[in-house]
Amino acid sequence: MSKSIDLTLKVWRQAGPKDKGHFETLRAQNISTEMSFLEMLDVVNDQLTLDGKEPIAFDSDCREGICGMCGAVINGRPHGPLKATTLCQLHMRHFNSGDVIAIEPFRAMAFKVIKDLVIDRSAFDQIIQAGGFVSVNTGGAPDANAVPIAQDQVESAMDAAQCISCGACVAACPNASAMLFVSANVSHLALLPQGQPEAARRAIAMVREMDRQGFGNCSNETECEAECPKSISISNIARLNRQFYRASLASSVK
Amino acid sequence: MIHQFDAIIVGSGGAGLYAALEASQRCRTAVLSKLYPIRSHTGAAQGGIGAALGNVEEDKPDWHAFDTVKGGDYLVDQQAARIMAEEAIQAVYDLENRGLPFNRTPEGRIDQRRFGGHTRNFGEAPVKRACYAADRTGHMILQTLYQQCIKNEVAFFDEFQVVDLVMDNGTCKGVVAVELSTGALHILAAKAVLFATGGFGRMYKITSNAFANTGDGPAVCARRGIPLQDMEFYQFHPTGIMGLGILISEAVRGEGGILRNRAGERFMERYSPTLLDLAPRDIVARSILTEVRAGQGIRGDRRIDDYIHLDATHLGRDTLMRKLPDITSFCKTYLGIDPADAPIPVLPTAHYAMGGIPTDIHGCVVRDGAGTVVQGLYAAGECACVSVHGANRLGTNSLLDLVVFGRRAGRHIGDYVQQAAAPSVSEADAEPARSWIARLTDGRPGPHGGHILEDMKLVMMEKVGIYRNAADMQNAIDTIQALRERYRTVRVQDRSKTFNTDLLEVIELGNLLDLSLVTAVSALNRQESRGAHSREDFPERNDTQWLKHTLAHLEGDAVRLDYKTVDTSIWEPKPRTY
Repeated sequence: MSKSIDLTLKVWRQAGPKDKGHFETLRAQNISTEMSFLEMLDVVNDQLTLDGKEPIAFDSDCREGICGMCGAVINGRPHGPLKATTLCQLHMRHFNSGDVIAIEPFRAMAFKVIKDLVIDRSAFDQIIQAGGFVSVNTGGAPDANAVPIAQDQVESAMDAAQCISCGACVAACPNASAMLFVSANVSHLALLPQGQPEAARRAIAMVREMDRQGFGNCSNETECEAECPKSISISNIARLNRQFYRASLASSVK
Repeated sequence: MIHQFDAIIVGSGGAGLYAALEASQRCRTAVLSKLYPIRSHTGAAQGGIGAALGNVEEDKPDWHAFDTVKGGDYLVDQQAARIMAEEAIQAVYDLENRGLPFNRTPEGRIDQRRFGGHTRNFGEAPVKRACYAADRTGHMILQTLYQQCIKNEVAFFDEFQVVDLVMDNGTCKGVVAVELSTGALHILAAKAVLFATGGFGRMYKITSNAFANTGDGPAVCARRGIPLQDMEFYQFHPTGIMGLGILISEAVRGEGGILRNRAGERFMERYSPTLLDLAPRDIVARSILTEVRAGQGIRGDRRIDDYIHLDATHLGRDTLMRKLPDITSFCKTYLGIDPADAPIPVLPTAHYAMGGIPTDIHGCVVRDGAGTVVQGLYAAGECACVSVHGANRLGTNSLLDLVVFGRRAGRHIGDYVQQAAAPSVSEADAEPARSWIARLTDGRPGPHGGHILEDMKLVMMEKVGIYRNAADMQNAIDTIQALRERYRTVRVQDRSKTFNTDLLEVIELGNLLDLSLVTAVSALNRQESRGAHSREDFPERNDTQWLKHTLAHLEGDAVRLDYKTVDTSIWEPKPRTY
């Protein structure tokens, strides 16, 4: 079932945040189709290192689609051509010998390139810090069973909470908007009783921070939903918009 | 560059973030992590977190504590296990209150499910004890704790690799770390330092662990004179995907999946006639390896990476899609097969370190069998050894360990820093680390670390893995010593300062080599079989001589072994039968 293929890679190389960057053409030869895309890059990097050249910098850790570290734009698509998978879950059997593969970092004004394919996603942290949490006094929390929650409600919250903060939604959006990320975080908490007291303040604060970080506006392109490795639905954006407008009218938060 | 804090937390998984959350309410706290916090391996934990809520069936913390002790083959410190089981309940409620979406019963209460080794009334029958958020429990714990930490304005030093510990007359003063994006060395001075760096499955060829799980905390401590406890106990999960080691959950066997050898035989009938494919993890892993060694693996070449089949084809496409959708998509994604049509190729995968940095029940690191505390130094989570897992950990107790002991350590730090003096450090404290890194990157020709890593992982898998014997382990120790010798000449090939992954990998390799040596020496010396430590030449448990914790001191190239008594104050050790 395994065979070997030869590929041509056009990889974005950028020495640092201030470097202009360029595409470099590299050969990936004798690649087993059983390898994952990142293992293929490992092989290319081993060769580059042996040749005394700088290996391609890219992030990855768990390689099972949960940590959210990896991610690059493959032939124009964040995390590659497959639906509902991260880059580490993309396998070389989906490519053919002779293919040319363009590999670029997730691009957005708010995501600075640190080196090659490695980007700085700390703008997401700033958005969470603005309101993506529940404020409770620690210790002496009441019995959680005192507030019953229906399973389907938890499931909707969980669907939103699947977000791994990889940034593919931003990379996919023509406006580099982070609305899917923000809406997933807002929805997770807004759908639970614990998160409701702060729901209005949270929606406003997080959207404001998203704007401040330099992410674009949502214009319903729906590319984010199509590329999200966790299949987070744009219905969360609709929920965020409702929360935001209702809160803007009723709240004193500026 | 020197930074001053009250508390430094090294590692941003569940234990580190919980400790940071608690400590940050009382003092200036920073988290240092080689990853971004939400990327930590806690996020990969699927199954659940054990707590005797009794929501679905009657349950008691004492039953949970007993199961933990028995599951750990009586090498567990029993008072610690009781504390963990008792505090589990409040821990789950706290997480729920902060927005963790636990699955619910039809009445709206937190739902619970079964897991191996968890029983009611001291082993009578299985009990539903695991609270869970779909199959993303770890991910949700991490997200929830991270949200709380940034709310509390914990300072985060992301993508910093710890390389040394600053000690002064037996008191910890801080850590030295490399900033990965620039290559710069930083000293982080603090009254209290907590290591929560996670596991070190990367010392084995086949592992479920992420690339970052290289045991940096235990290795740094070991080189600074802190002993490592019970390192010979390393858990292998029976069913990892062939070649990758990614877990296929016990749930497949729970739904009726069957393990088969190359003849198609249901071989577990021979090893565990009653429990069959659902026997405890260590027993199933050993049975699989016995088949492979007898040439009954699917390839039949008796090699360590041969595999067997997990057959779920008879369950039907409907059941698979309804009850095991993730497994189905895993198989399609990674193997390109549909488990409804073809059996899943699996083999045991290195999964969890029971051993680590020895601590008391407050997370304070201890340096000897008498329990002498190292002032200002703490550890929690997989890198620590309290010990609540003994010789074998039960499922769902890993997330619980993180949450309970991460929180206890964070609270103790909050008290400790109130009376501790601010440490004085200088650039000279970074000198050992600076000269080491300077040597690694001096541009002289030297071998690449990659081959050393591969050789180490293979010898650990083959000789200090599931089955062990004296000759193999001595051979492994000799090999590791030779690899350590070669490591001294290794040079970083990538000369750039910015995001030098080659440097990071060489640092991690040094840590893994040290931990491999300590593990192999500890294992060779323990002449009995207990839990995950299974000796072909000493097949029985021996409480008379070996009911004691190992404390291994790394002294240059030598490992000096010492022992510490086990707390058996509640339940008398008995044979471990299920």
